[in-house]
Amino acid sequence: MDEKLDQWKELANSEVKRMGKTVDDLVSKTLEGIDIKALYTSEDIKNLETIDSLPGISPFVRGPKATMYTARPWTIRQYAGFSTAKESNAFYRKNLAAGQKGLSVAFDLATHRGYDSDNPRVEGDVGKAGVAVDSVEDMKVLFDQIPLDQMSVSMTMNGAVIPVLAFYIVAAEEQGVAQALLTGTIQNDILKEYLCRNTYIYPPTPSMRIISDIIEYCSNNMPRYNTISISGYHMGEAGANCVQQVAFTIADGIEYIKAAIKAGLKIDDFAPRLSFFFGIGMNLFMNVAMLRAARFLWSDAVEQFGGNEQSKALRTHSQTSGWSLTEQDPYNNIIRTTIEALSATLGGTQSLHTNAFDEALGLPTEFSARIARNTQIILQEESEICNTVDPLAGSYYVEALTDTIVQEARKIMAQIDTAGGMARAIELGIPKHMIEEAAAETQSLIDQGKRVIVGVNKYKLQKEEAVNVMEIDNQAVREEQIANLQQIKLARNSADVKETLAKIRVVAKEGGNLLAAAIDAARVRATLGEISDAMETVFGRYLVPSECVTGVISREYHNSEKGACEFDEVKQLVDDYANNEGRRPRILIAKMGQDGHDRGAKVIASAYSDFGFDVDLSPMFSTPEEIAKLAVENDVHFVGASSLAAGHKTLVPELIKQLQAFGRGDIKVIVGGVIPPQDYDYLLERGVAKIYGPGTQMIKCVREAMELLNQE
Amino acid sequence: MINAMSADEIVAEILNGNRAILARAMTIIESTHPKHYKLAGEIIDKVMPLVGKARRIGITGVPGAGKSTLLEVLGMYLINSGLKVAIIAIDPSSSISGGSILADKTRMTTLLREYNAFIRPVPSGGHLGGTSRRTRELTFLLDAAGFDVVFIETVGVGQSEIEVANVVDFFCLVQIAGAGDELQGIKKGVMEVADLIIVNKCDGDNKAMAEIARSMFKNALQIVKPKYSQWQAQALTCSARDNAGIKNIWDVVDRFYATMEPNGVVASIRKSQNIRWMKQQIEENVINMIYSTQDIKELYSKAKARVESNQLSPRNAVETVSQYIVEKLTYDVLK
Repeated sequence: MDEKLDQWKELANSEVKRMGKTVDDLVSKTLEGIDIKALYTSEDIKNLETIDSLPGISPFVRGPKATMYTARPWTIRQYAGFSTAKESNAFYRKNLAAGQKGLSVAFDLATHRGYDSDNPRVEGDVGKAGVAVDSVEDMKVLFDQIPLDQMSVSMTMNGAVIPVLAFYIVAAEEQGVAQALLTGTIQNDILKEYLCRNTYIYPPTPSMRIISDIIEYCSNNMPRYNTISISGYHMGEAGANCVQQVAFTIADGIEYIKAAIKAGLKIDDFAPRLSFFFGIGMNLFMNVAMLRAARFLWSDAVEQFGGNEQSKALRTHSQTSGWSLTEQDPYNNIIRTTIEALSATLGGTQSLHTNAFDEALGLPTEFSARIARNTQIILQEESEICNTVDPLAGSYYVEALTDTIVQEARKIMAQIDTAGGMARAIELGIPKHMIEEAAAETQSLIDQGKRVIVGVNKYKLQKEEAVNVMEIDNQAVREEQIANLQQIKLARNSADVKETLAKIRVVAKEGGNLLAAAIDAARVRATLGEISDAMETVFGRYLVPSECVTGVISREYHNSEKGACEFDEVKQLVDDYANNEGRRPRILIAKMGQDGHDRGAKVIASAYSDFGFDVDLSPMFSTPEEIAKLAVENDVHFVGASSLAAGHKTLVPELIKQLQAFGRGDIKVIVGGVIPPQDYDYLLERGVAKIYGPGTQMIKCVREAMELLNQE
Repeated sequence: MINAMSADEIVAEILNGNRAILARAMTIIESTHPKHYKLAGEIIDKVMPLVGKARRIGITGVPGAGKSTLLEVLGMYLINSGLKVAIIAIDPSSSISGGSILADKTRMTTLLREYNAFIRPVPSGGHLGGTSRRTRELTFLLDAAGFDVVFIETVGVGQSEIEVANVVDFFCLVQIAGAGDELQGIKKGVMEVADLIIVNKCDGDNKAMAEIARSMFKNALQIVKPKYSQWQAQALTCSARDNAGIKNIWDVVDRFYATMEPNGVVASIRKSQNIRWMKQQIEENVINMIYSTQDIKELYSKAKARVESNQLSPRNAVETVSQYIVEKLTYDVLK
């Protein structure tokens, strides 16, 4: 072998000689920091601990089931929900008729954060990025004519898990379906909420207790129901690379096992009901290897707790990356999603959501949802990839990569262990910092064209074609929800509601099962906001303070001479302003409404600061009025509003109005995030100075801000 | 808009409760550009006669001690007692980019919604003396604008907290319990200027440690040379997280003012701070002026070069340059 390898090396060297390179120059570095060689051979998989296992048998590298897709392909489970329960129900039924197999409910942000639709803090959020659910009545409508004893339902809910699960159970009950028959998953993964997704409500300690209560209730009453979906997806979206995603997700899982054991449960009574959720990005083989590595690590971890085979098998849902989608030339997203879907299925996922190509522009339409669904159907029914289990097993490259991910992830997991476990590490900000650094680094590479994104930093279109996206009349949804709430409150027995809510407060304070108490309240039509409030009076409402990495972007730019030149030129504009005006340009980066996606806000805050701005960060979940007050008190030049949850048409004009009311209509409002192109004019007419979609170069944002300032 | 206003108009608006103008005026005061000095000076002159009502309180501590969270609950406590509260939060600027990330407010989410609260993060801008000058004058503006309490929050990592002690009436040091090495970790000068040491995070499993730390601080404060003969510095515990011990903190502040105000000590503290500041400022200005005079600048750099090349002893260099300065000043004055 050695001899042959030398021969190859010689040949390879002579092939690249003309380019002035040697074979060593062909080694590339991934976002994970892993060196990828030009060639892998049998030498690379000698004595690996992750190799040569069989599917359905621990350590499950090749899959949690013995037959995998050969007997039953993965479940096509499209995440959807918008507007009212009635509209979402109609959408679900249409999709089920067209070949979708499982449901996955997206709730609106008001519901996630435990607010009823009539709460003034959620004016811009109701019905926008998911369906509004205020009570059992909404939940019943949501599943109208969908038999819950036959349909497995996945619900992405982490903050308001108690009322939402209670509504689901009571809605089934009123359909005549017993709890024991319910199948499906509730995400219920609170740790990653503090880390990146931000739809928590209570502080970490009571939140972990809520999870224990749910695990306990379900293991007694709903044996077929998955009580947690331990999610790495959102970490990936926040910027985590594959190694980080695996390490943090498995570490989260270990933390939940510890909590359940502490609550008195036996590992094999609950571990088989823990499921996972991974995000799949564009590096095809890396993501395959990530899923294989995750299964190995989980099996290894559960073994430490004495779990049996069933407990050790990692089952996962996957979703193609939303972050990898571009606003520019958006039809390319169909191809991206296809590659990612292939990666997820070659990696052996149990169910999959494929994104619609227009999700960087707004909410999917019926048309884009069909293409997304058909991407999976074609993979399943035309591509013949389901005919054998784990087809990439034995590939020198994929096996070596699987092992490298395992080894690298273990290093991070050891670091977390030293910190005292994932809950403590999150409290200390360790994983958040690592993810934010990775995000800032990636963005710098894209900015400089060192990572290619077609249509964004290479092969750009001269003129973008208009794409239709779905529009939700947020005001109308809100009014309808408020009318329904009023009706429910009139019809119900208020003494019963009071009593059951009082019981929740007692259980929260003194112990008992919160889910059981909430089911009683749900039956008598207590609302989501009321049940959440009852717990909030005992637990308090929590907010993670925002912090932000600095220096990463500046460092990345200074890695090359060209980058350094570009950077310094813009930095000079900022410094000149500071010298001429006696102060640095100042920008408030604002998150309004219940939108917790803060990757973009953090990265751009970091960029402005590296270029020499003074940057104020707003607390998340602020109202336009609160942001205006902040902007005025800090006397900023700009407010940069980051919006990824479709609330911009309500929130941004309101912000401008509030600034004017303070007499500071001169503060410039810049909007960034997912803004459908047809909303641009609406916002510009209302006084927005600049709008930046996904994929905008950071340096451009800074340069244009300086242009705006110098125009004065 | 503010540039078109006279100092009189600006001050009238500030007294009127105009938040936007107050904030703009603070920017003028903060400005490092000479073109703003005249207006800044006029504004300060106009507000000076109106200043004196607000309590000026300094809060410092190492990063992670929970200063901002403490200010959030203490501020809310005061607002619920009917007071108006302002906070100047001094954040470090990056020495590389010059920019800064001002994220303090994300820990004061309840307070910042209050109309009786005004929170202004101030980037340190990298120069210490400047920070304290601007902070003093910002305090005056907020005082004149009707705030009852003005907090100045600094991160206790440099010399800046001692500077801030010279701007406030009452100086609090926020600490957390460590592993018995609290006293070694604390910078010497800080103990001497503290009027109150607060051991935060006295909650959960940390309670016993916090109490031990408090008594260590209490003992240590008793052997430090007292700052005022009329006031013995105190040590307290609190939990900003659990909103516990907050009233005790303010009771101590009340007691300080009840003791120190009637006997005129607060007034004399402020007077001596004014004098001290004036003296410092004159010295600074004189030095800047001297070094920016062309012939002195030249003489200095010549002397420097000769010292560097061992042609001149430092001692002789001092003599030569100083004599030249003195002669020049005498000549200018006589002329």
